[in-house]
Amino acid sequence: MKFVIQFVAILFSSHLLALFMPWYCIAFAAFVMGYLLKSNANFLAGFFAIAALWMFNAWLIDSDSSSDLAERVANLFALKHKTLLFLIMAAVGGLVGGFAALTGSLLRKL
Amino acid sequence: MRVFKFIISLILTLGLIYILDNRWVIKETPIPPLGKFLDPFNGFWRNIEPVNFKGPDALNLDGLQENVTVVFDSLAIPHIFANNNLDLYYAQGYITARHRLWQMEFQTHAAAGRVSEITGAGKNELFLQYDRGQRRLGMVFGARHALEALSNNQDALIMIEKYTEGINAYIQSLDYKTLPFEYKLLDYQPEAWTPLKCALLLKNMAQTLSIGDKDIEMTNALKLFGWEMVDLLYPDREPVGDPIVENPGGWKFRINIPDSLPMALPEELIHIKRLPPSDPTTGSNNWAVSGNKTATGSPILCGDPHLNLNLPSIWYAIQLNAPGINALGVSLPGDPGIIIGCTDSIAWSLTNAQRDLVDWFKISFQDDTRNKYLLDNQWVDTEKVIEVFNVRDKPVFRDTVLYTHWGPIPYDENYRSDDNRKHYAFRWLSHDASNEFFAFYKLNRAQDHAGYMEALDYFDSPPNNFVFASMSGDIAMRVQGKYPIRRSKEGKFVLDGSKSTNGWTAFIPNEQNVMEKNPSRGFVSSANQYPVDATYPYYITATSFEAYRNRRINNVLNGLTQIQPEDMMKLQNDNYNLKAEESLPFFLSQLDSTTFTIAEKNAYQILSTWDYFNNKDSEGASYYEAWWDNLMPLLWDEMEKEGVTLRRPTTYNTIKLLREKPNLTFFDIQSTPEKETAREVIQKAFSASTTEMETWKEEHSNASAAWAEYKDSYIGHLMRLEPLGIHIKTGGNHDIVNAHARTHGPSWRMVVSLEKSGIKMWGVYPGGQSGNPGSTYYSNMLDPWVNGKYFPLLFLHHPEDAGNRVLYTTHLNRQK
Repeated sequence: MKFVIQFVAILFSSHLLALFMPWYCIAFAAFVMGYLLKSNANFLAGFFAIAALWMFNAWLIDSDSSSDLAERVANLFALKHKTLLFLIMAAVGGLVGGFAALTGSLLRKL
Repeated sequence: MRVFKFIISLILTLGLIYILDNRWVIKETPIPPLGKFLDPFNGFWRNIEPVNFKGPDALNLDGLQENVTVVFDSLAIPHIFANNNLDLYYAQGYITARHRLWQMEFQTHAAAGRVSEITGAGKNELFLQYDRGQRRLGMVFGARHALEALSNNQDALIMIEKYTEGINAYIQSLDYKTLPFEYKLLDYQPEAWTPLKCALLLKNMAQTLSIGDKDIEMTNALKLFGWEMVDLLYPDREPVGDPIVENPGGWKFRINIPDSLPMALPEELIHIKRLPPSDPTTGSNNWAVSGNKTATGSPILCGDPHLNLNLPSIWYAIQLNAPGINALGVSLPGDPGIIIGCTDSIAWSLTNAQRDLVDWFKISFQDDTRNKYLLDNQWVDTEKVIEVFNVRDKPVFRDTVLYTHWGPIPYDENYRSDDNRKHYAFRWLSHDASNEFFAFYKLNRAQDHAGYMEALDYFDSPPNNFVFASMSGDIAMRVQGKYPIRRSKEGKFVLDGSKSTNGWTAFIPNEQNVMEKNPSRGFVSSANQYPVDATYPYYITATSFEAYRNRRINNVLNGLTQIQPEDMMKLQNDNYNLKAEESLPFFLSQLDSTTFTIAEKNAYQILSTWDYFNNKDSEGASYYEAWWDNLMPLLWDEMEKEGVTLRRPTTYNTIKLLREKPNLTFFDIQSTPEKETAREVIQKAFSASTTEMETWKEEHSNASAAWAEYKDSYIGHLMRLEPLGIHIKTGGNHDIVNAHARTHGPSWRMVVSLEKSGIKMWGVYPGGQSGNPGSTYYSNMLDPWVNGKYFPLLFLHHPEDAGNRVLYTTHLNRQK
């Protein structure tokens, strides 16, 4: 249960910050929620919260457009399909979110 | 222990953020800042526009005097309505930047030799060497002179300044989220726009159109082959074609030609690896037919400039409306005004009016310091300009370029020349001060033939053939540019730079340029052919003149009556290969069919039944073009000498020589022991091309080689990023009216009917209004262009007239 609360908290707080802050605000959100709402899988909560947030928002943009830019960017990164680009994006955001949440929880333990 | 864990985790987090927030270059491959770039809230995803994207309803801008209304029609073409000129050009700058900022800046960087600031030096220093070439050709030097001319002309100056202000207002409004895609990908920021950049863009066009010359090649040819051969291989005028203006005996003015004949230098061989010339097949078509040849009784004017086709597209369509101006057409993103289009009374279009506008002067330096050089029996100071290149990811690179009375010395032992004893200064018309901006300013307001003539008086370079038609029924053509008066053969060879009298001492007065109005044949036309009949008193030379498109166009126009706009569209898309009609039967007659392989028999069959149309599905076109492409290098293998720059004769002259001088020594292939004549080379090229076709078919698992497939045309992204380019299937080729070769072609097709009830324009270009690869309007006109379709363009008198063809309207409000 704690995990779910933490996941949701990171997801919403980072969404809120992302509306007016640079991309690394996700680390701040995950860090604070890692500290405040420590669960037994802080890294995973941070990772999946940010991965889900980014995937969902990117998908919203992509599905609402007739442009194939996502596909072309995937090709620029030598990826065959844009699905792979989505996964890499999720991993990039997820890792930052995961480590930030972990760091927050570790600070709590001190 | 816990502290330790925490610190490790903190460092990992911060390290990760640092890595993902910065750009990295791994093995010369740049990686954008992944976190920043992939973030769906601010990164590249934000450049993907939704299907029903609409711009803002209103924007507050503090550079405006009054409010401006901009109607975007269904093609995203802006129609700008302003109450004064200041606001008009401010809005043009702002709106153009909104669609095309990255392209505008990149093109000016490319012109100024600053690409490596964005891209780094590139593989094998490709970008840095390109930049050095641009600086050494004096592109910025020329642009500065153009700006100086502006300072004497208030109207043009204000136009440039307000346009610049508008662009900068847009740049200032940007944050990372709204930054154009390419800035995010390459991770850099736009810099402030300047009037110099406007001038650089015009010089960029001049470089595409008028920097070609053959002086060094002809000097080498003279040394190696002698006078007689030079005249045979490279005649000043080929016995072909309808000149643009035919007025024999009608040139009734006295001319003063300087009598001393500056000859070629003491014969010598010049060892320079010249910078690649702009594509010699770059050209354009334009024509106008008078009312007595059209169905409506009103003139029709057509234009299709052929340029390198890129995305974002080179042209940006726009309508400009303010008191004293109502003009519609295409602009060059980065320059104010409209370059090709119509006002509500006249229309015009441009084709390159090539002529020799470049000379090379041999410089004698006093000593190895090169501080002084000889000019009119005196040692004159050399100007040494240190060019600084802020190459990305690398230390600053410096390059010293020497400037003389004539201009810069592009090639020396540090750049593309291994001979440190010989230096040649570069004289180019486009280095001189001129005021083309004002020419367009006036042209955009012209109401009749007199207005058009007055505007063109300000147009120096790059010279163009300006076709004209008016609602009142006039049609006209004017070959306009600032042409040096040349002595016979002057400018064909490298000149002696120690005498200032060897330079250009006078220019052809504007009123003595080649021009005509309402000729009896009922149409005017130009397609880069030789400009005028042989009675024109001035000496004319150029790198080459077009031989085929012009005759095909005039042929068709001669045969047409009751012309409809659709007939003109058909002609612009005409794929008839006149060159093939004139050469293929002869080529086929030279073949010895007894030695044919099966593939060759098949090829022969296809070629002898071909109808000479380079249509998409034509197989004959593929075989013919492959044959030709193999034939040229085999015939002129002598021109590929190591270290010595030479030049192949033109297509037309090559075919003529094959027929008339089959035993010409040049036709012998040097690498083979036997002696070839035209016949053997034609046969060898035929065999080689047939083998090539077979290989192509195998590789593409195709049973046939349709021309569009074989040609495989390509519209590349300006930055040459393969995944951002688009492959397309089209007919046509160079030397054909539909001049779409692999990467060059009709960059804008326009047909204008100047009817009394109102001007009608149809147009299309291979791309779209938006420069954003994430927009629907990035390439929405490409397919229609490929298929020869046109869009009727809206020409409004009031913003409300657009009716249901409005995409959205943006009000630019004066910030109070």
